[in-house]
Amino acid sequence: MSSVIWYLYEFAKKAWIDKFTTAKSEKEIMDKPDRFRDFPQVTKENCISCGACTAACPTPSAIKLIRNTDATINEILTFPEIDNSICIRCGFCSEVCPSIPKTITCGENHEITEEFQIIPTEIKYVIDDYLCIRCKKCTKVCPVDAIEEQDNKLRINQKKCINCGKCTKVCPVKGSLKIIYVNNVEEQKQVIKLITNTLESVVEENEYQFKDLDKNSIFRMQIPIKPLKDKCLEIINMEDLVQDLLEKMIDRLNLRVITWDMDKCNNCRLCVAECPSSAITYNKNDGVQRDIDKCLRCSICYQTCPFYVVKFYNVRFLIEDDVILITVQSSQLSRS
Amino acid sequence: MLDSLKDVIRKSSIHVCLINTGGCNGCDIEVVALLSPRYDLEQYGIYVHNNPREADVLLITGPVTEQWKENLRRIYTKTPEPKIVVTLGSCPVSGDVFNQEGGCVYAPVSDFIPVDAEVPGCPPRPSEILESILSVAPGAIATKGRQRK
Amino acid sequence: MIVPIGPIHPALKEPARLKLKTKGERVISAEIDLGFVHRGIERIMEGKPWQKGIYLSERVCGICSYVHTQTFAETFEKISGVQAPLRAQYLRVITNELDRIQSHLLANSTFFKSVEHETLFMYMLKMREPIMDAIELLTGNRVNMGWNIVGGVRMDAKDEHLQKIHEIILKLEKEFDTYYGMYAEGPFLRLRSNKVGRMSKKEAIEGRAVGPIGRGSGIKKDYRKSHHTYKDNFDFKVIWRKDGDNFARNMNRFDEIPESIKILKQAIENIPSGDTRIPVEIGRGYGEWINEAPRGEVRYMVETNGNLIKNISIRTPSIMNIDCCARYMLNDAMTVSDAIATYASVDPCIACAERVIVTNEKNEKIKIYL
Repeated sequence: MSSVIWYLYEFAKKAWIDKFTTAKSEKEIMDKPDRFRDFPQVTKENCISCGACTAACPTPSAIKLIRNTDATINEILTFPEIDNSICIRCGFCSEVCPSIPKTITCGENHEITEEFQIIPTEIKYVIDDYLCIRCKKCTKVCPVDAIEEQDNKLRINQKKCINCGKCTKVCPVKGSLKIIYVNNVEEQKQVIKLITNTLESVVEENEYQFKDLDKNSIFRMQIPIKPLKDKCLEIINMEDLVQDLLEKMIDRLNLRVITWDMDKCNNCRLCVAECPSSAITYNKNDGVQRDIDKCLRCSICYQTCPFYVVKFYNVRFLIEDDVILITVQSSQLSRS
Repeated sequence: MLDSLKDVIRKSSIHVCLINTGGCNGCDIEVVALLSPRYDLEQYGIYVHNNPREADVLLITGPVTEQWKENLRRIYTKTPEPKIVVTLGSCPVSGDVFNQEGGCVYAPVSDFIPVDAEVPGCPPRPSEILESILSVAPGAIATKGRQRK
Repeated sequence: MIVPIGPIHPALKEPARLKLKTKGERVISAEIDLGFVHRGIERIMEGKPWQKGIYLSERVCGICSYVHTQTFAETFEKISGVQAPLRAQYLRVITNELDRIQSHLLANSTFFKSVEHETLFMYMLKMREPIMDAIELLTGNRVNMGWNIVGGVRMDAKDEHLQKIHEIILKLEKEFDTYYGMYAEGPFLRLRSNKVGRMSKKEAIEGRAVGPIGRGSGIKKDYRKSHHTYKDNFDFKVIWRKDGDNFARNMNRFDEIPESIKILKQAIENIPSGDTRIPVEIGRGYGEWINEAPRGEVRYMVETNGNLIKNISIRTPSIMNIDCCARYMLNDAMTVSDAIATYASVDPCIACAERVIVTNEKNEKIKIYL
């Protein structure tokens, strides 16, 4: 009985009842310490819209660069917006932010110095010294002064570069500033193979049209670019990269086409010994055979053949709007 | 009269079931830290029992993995009404770093069961969890309890 | 009769399914089902730059998240042929030991919860909170710290921070003795944990038990003794016991806390000044690194091409320990409630363990665990 009275006495205190009804943690427990890395804070005015934060963010889509289209503000601002429901509060975005003062601040962070290459890159920018005309337009536009001059040559300091791509827009020489995608090299190889293979097969299909081409005349044809591009997009789903690859590949492509007219062949077997990759073989039943996969298109067989069995054409390509222009020209090589 | 009495009772006694649907464990131990004498979750009348059959609040941490796709729905149906679902951390909302190429997660949780409240952060501090649960859970349970009639 | 426990169960804090085959009240054999938390984290890391990989490696496991980033960073430092500055190494040691203390306290607290000793459970968590404060003070976050980076650490610690940590440790040391006594000499807890869930040294070697679990069965192996920072600068001893029961495992974890405190004191006293971070040109090739996590050895095997991670494989301690638990400890003819306590004494970290490839030797088929 005494214990019951003690309990009643103990719990009937006013302070106790107050605490029971309005329980609350103390403020100092709920407060965040000074060094706590909270969600990043964005100062819109400082942003140079370089996209370093979006490239560096370890999550897939926590930071998005958005454009302010508010009519009341005269200047259109581009600034990063952070989605708190995805952000992992690592503070990496504020570490890589190159603007001074920083656009994104997040707790107390390591002050980044020039010697740290931090932005995880998928793209690298390289200046081709052979094509560069040293107009230095890129140095003026570069927001982080990554383009340096050394021995009268311009080069990009990869440790400073933030991959904003502004230099490519001002560069007057096509191909002087190169974009290299380092991430999906294998897929790019596949795309290049696909492009060459399809173009070669197109030419071979239309072989009958330019069989009897003169040495001085040329044959022209064109094919649409769309189906080829769609095939490439299946391998890499990046519109820019595929367009870039197509332009570079097709502009440079210089195909050599070798045709064989087997009716004229007399099985002299001169070409068999000459072929450097042993693509041409001979056996009694089939006569002289050429293995297309092994063939290097070196044109040695064309030069050796005394009966005009082998014919050799140069094919060039050019992109114009939505079509690929194909030009076939008979070889100018002299024959022995 | 009866309704307001029920409201008071529902608000002051909340049972929580913690479901880890494939997270990194970080949010779970922050909930364990909430049980500690310092934050003292139980002074607010919230008990973490890990038993879905007597839970009022389902606390979900983690993106949904292969094994949880069906099981999460089953757990939700077995929880008695009124119930609310609170997601903890950024995984259940967006899949976080795991929701990338190669990952084997099926975020967000709201694809599988209805979600009432979210607590962002990776992981949220115990004080943040406490604040948001206290601001959401009692009121939501009381209103849901009235709706069911 | 088979008693299924989990994946959602009042006694477990992480999803795993225990199938206990019982005869009457006694457990004859057990099986542990994993696979609830498989996210494919190694696959996500492949083809990502290392800067993103380090934040992903942190999320392999939430409790020992620190040691994963340290091992990741040290693997890359090994590949690149550099070492972090000495001050950064010391700061890493400090954080690692703080992390170890909080992990051990949490592990023991879950054991006490599973034997229904709420008082010690609360005391352990009460002791743990100041340690979490110290970690937050140093690194800026409580759990996923984001503090390591290849070539050092991201933030320098100020003298006042180290002073504060020193105070916290001294306070912990005083508190610790009382609660240590409660477990070491308390009669009821001893009854629940002594000679329960035994694993002999031979079994431990056969099952590749690591960390406090292996050391509880007499395997004197601590990878801190072969780590370059610890080996050169710190003086501590490896704790081990030969009983191999729940009591030995828990006492092992308890005894490692004073050792960690000893290391922390040495580190704070002798910390050199200087840089905390150096620029690193990431090398190409393959590298391996082993560190002692709170639960045992954690091994990273990484192949890189200078910037991107080509291939990565992470070996965490929990998978061996869980396997040992299912194979040897739970067969020791105990009651069902003891089985849960034994499972908790192994300190299973399911989030760590879920990146496993199961191979079938008989028909030589490889099945990837989903």
